[in-house]
Amino acid sequence: MPEGKFCNKKPVETEEELKALLGDTGGKQYYEEMKSLEIDSDLLWKTIQNTLKSRLKTWLEICAHCGMCADSCFLYLINNRDPKQVPAYKIQSTLGEIVKRQGKVDNDFMHMVMEMAWSKCTCCNRCGMYCPHGIDMGIMFGYLRGLCYQQGFVPWELKIGAGMHRVYRAQMDVTDEDFVETFEWMVEEYEEDYPGLEVPVDKEDADIMYTVNAREVKHYPEDLAEAAILFHLAGENWTVPSKGWEQTSLAMFAGDWAACKMQVESVYAAMERLRPKRMVGTECGHAHRATVVEGPYWAGLESGQAPVPSIHYVEWLAEALREGKLKIDPAKRLKRPVTLQDSCNYVRNHGLKAITREIMSYIVEPGYFIEMAPNKEHNYCCGGGGGFNGIGLFRPQRNQALITKRDQILNAGANLVIAPCHNCWDAIRDLEEEYKIGIEWSFLKPVVISMVEIPEHLKLQE
Amino acid sequence: MYDFLTGPMFWLSLGICLIGMLVRFVLYFRGLNWQMDRVAYKAYPAQGLKGALKSIIQWLIPFGTHSWRKQPFMTVIFFGFHIGAVLVPLFLLAHNLFLEEKIGFSLVTLNPLVADILTWAVIVSAFFLVLRRIALPEVRILTTSYDYFIILISVAPFITGLLARYEVGNYSFWLTLHILCGEALLIAIPFTKLSHIVLFFASRAQLGMDYAIKRGGMQGKGMAW
Amino acid sequence: MFKKILFATSATEASDHAARVAFNMAQAYDAQLYLFHVLGVPTRGFSQVVLDVKTKEEVVLDDEYIAWVEEEIKVHYTKQLETASKTEIKVAIGFPHREILRAARELKPDLIVMGGSTGENDDSVYKKSLVGTTLQRVAKAAPCPVLVVNRPAASFWGGMSNIVFGTDFSKASDAAFKFAIRVAKTLACELHIFHALDIGSVHTGRILTQDEIETKIRESIRRIRGRYLPGMSGIEDYSFEVWEGIPYIEVVKYARENHADLIVMAHHTHKTSGEDTRLGSNIEQVIVRAGCPVISINR
Repeated sequence: MPEGKFCNKKPVETEEELKALLGDTGGKQYYEEMKSLEIDSDLLWKTIQNTLKSRLKTWLEICAHCGMCADSCFLYLINNRDPKQVPAYKIQSTLGEIVKRQGKVDNDFMHMVMEMAWSKCTCCNRCGMYCPHGIDMGIMFGYLRGLCYQQGFVPWELKIGAGMHRVYRAQMDVTDEDFVETFEWMVEEYEEDYPGLEVPVDKEDADIMYTVNAREVKHYPEDLAEAAILFHLAGENWTVPSKGWEQTSLAMFAGDWAACKMQVESVYAAMERLRPKRMVGTECGHAHRATVVEGPYWAGLESGQAPVPSIHYVEWLAEALREGKLKIDPAKRLKRPVTLQDSCNYVRNHGLKAITREIMSYIVEPGYFIEMAPNKEHNYCCGGGGGFNGIGLFRPQRNQALITKRDQILNAGANLVIAPCHNCWDAIRDLEEEYKIGIEWSFLKPVVISMVEIPEHLKLQE
Repeated sequence: MYDFLTGPMFWLSLGICLIGMLVRFVLYFRGLNWQMDRVAYKAYPAQGLKGALKSIIQWLIPFGTHSWRKQPFMTVIFFGFHIGAVLVPLFLLAHNLFLEEKIGFSLVTLNPLVADILTWAVIVSAFFLVLRRIALPEVRILTTSYDYFIILISVAPFITGLLARYEVGNYSFWLTLHILCGEALLIAIPFTKLSHIVLFFASRAQLGMDYAIKRGGMQGKGMAW
Repeated sequence: MFKKILFATSATEASDHAARVAFNMAQAYDAQLYLFHVLGVPTRGFSQVVLDVKTKEEVVLDDEYIAWVEEEIKVHYTKQLETASKTEIKVAIGFPHREILRAARELKPDLIVMGGSTGENDDSVYKKSLVGTTLQRVAKAAPCPVLVVNRPAASFWGGMSNIVFGTDFSKASDAAFKFAIRVAKTLACELHIFHALDIGSVHTGRILTQDEIETKIRESIRRIRGRYLPGMSGIEDYSFEVWEGIPYIEVVKYARENHADLIVMAHHTHKTSGEDTRLGSNIEQVIVRAGCPVISINR
């Protein structure tokens, strides 16, 4: 059977294809075509044989069926402890089955797999921490998504997202010119309040090369201004690259490994071109995971490190506060019950639990910071991770998932959530919209700006 | 029969078990692929080792991890089973007398009362493990007949062993059956999920290395299992 | 002097007063008029779902929907569009203040026209985490003057004879002054310079004596003379006053007294968050209360 116009095994690679796919409102025709998409079993099995190595193979075989992973999974807990949501069951009935059947699966089965991989797992990696064997089902679902993507069974929005990275090297249709223009515009808008504010573009050998999330350019350019302001106030020698400025990876959520590679390579190329001492990313979790944690492997770097030491925004911010590059006016610290969202991608999966708490110690009046329970690397997913936030088809499941975070916030008794991650920020915004519990939420940048002391020489001369 | 089982069959089953475990262990690590697994194993060996050890040791301690603490009943029956299942076969007096005969030396031996208690613990825990498989929906959905088979084949030597030890009925019969079950178990180990005897360590080491090298071990104090 | 006008509209009654002025002006100055409308706020992370500002429903964006919204705008302004010649409809998705500023940067209008605040409805699609109203944020950062029409009483731009320029002697006020002069010369009007002496005890910490007030008034009048009179050549009819009171009330009163057809003031709060949002700066209060259009300048 010939493949669909929109739903097929070919990735979206040109602007025309992207626009065409976007034009299929809600993916209506796309999902219709998916009903007749055939599985290339030979390709599937061949791929598995080439890529399913010792670790994954052993994980699938050694699972003791003990069920200890059940309680660790927030989706299991929030869906009334439905046994079908037990992580081991989820992965065994999908990837486990595919391997057992040596790739001989049909369209119905792959529909089930797609639903499992994108609406019953956010790849938060929490289950791996609770399994006695250390079986990380989040990683297996990531791998499974790759198989699904290859076969064309990927949610509409993520096929578009991966296509965006392929065409624009950014998660949205924002060109390099748009990026530079918008950043310069933001600096212009704010330079009256902060004399001397500038955004050096493509400066070589700077201390910091800053990369962002394309959403900021498109919809939240204030974030760019805030970043510039904080670097300015801290006296940093920083720059942004005009190419390779985008850090995120919807391709990672989509399972499009080739696009993941292309995306991180564009950032690494910028690092090599501009030779900064470090790269600092914006407040985004999966961007950090993709570019700093996983990226080096997609790019074939055996050291497992990016070409240049790369840190998450919270690491830079903590350092700036610690070293006094940014000083907080104690009178302006947060004096309201505030809690902290520990994002899976840089807390559980990159150990920054102490860093974010260090920042909280500077910006919150003692006695006002309340931890969520559980927290740190044991925190639950925000409810929107792994692409969940954006997939229309699985909106109801995502909204159900938000309840976990809602309850954590309510139990903490906080009315403000600090969420230094775009996905978590979105999820918390959506949970407030959906469940109206009366909270506010914020990134770190605006909060810090509201309380930072401006050094004398940078003050506005009236 | 007894001679056969304690003669060639003993060497064969032990050989298969030990060589099999070694093979699986080695194959596991040889099959790791830094790029596919996305862990720079070779780049940070010291870090990796630290992480691997922490990952293994913390989990070997009852209630030593968040997970064990979250499931206290399971933790009790799990360790109740495994402590005895490891210690008794290795350090039982009777086994070591046999071993001394066979290879010339024996390992340290358990106090007989302790051995009894541990063996009972194994059997009682196994019973509750089976009950757990039947009663809890999240375990039931995963459980297959293979799982029951594994429990059976693992616990059979202990049951028959106890029956022999208490000299219930025909001692010779239970002893022979015990040896048979034991050797069946030994042979099964490398070829079934029982290979987790080594693969537990291997798998945990891998995840420990992953977290220590890639996922944050170098950014702070490391994963708090 | 107004060749390109950007009229930011919600395409509802709330913008009708401002619409009247925008179309009036476009006709009076034969200007290119852009009807700019932000139809929805992005939501759902990276997906294509947008929250429509009018229906409050989630909409998946496509060309059809955009065309439909443009059609709706045409229908809403049918009457005005009959007589208007150079108009263009532009719709955008995003946060209104940001998109208005983006459009202003691109189109480089001589003036932005806006209605007053659409209010703080609970069911508004603009989520709580955005601080500051659209108006505040546009007025703060716009690259050109922003004309705000808040009340029906203020929706007339016709024969101008009286302009009130309110000053607080700041740098931004200087820019506003230059603009006021230009308008006064172009439209051949009278220019009335006004300064309000803020005597609210909230600000000074104590109540001023009458002597102190009158001394300050004299000082302010001297300042007006020094700062602004030199730039007034070419303006035939002018006057200046300093009244004490709560600034925005005094400005509105003064404008009423002088039958002002236009108020020109500087917008220069640096903050758009926290306490300032609720109190509103003086210019925002003036906008809300004035009986004539108010133009806000920030640079």
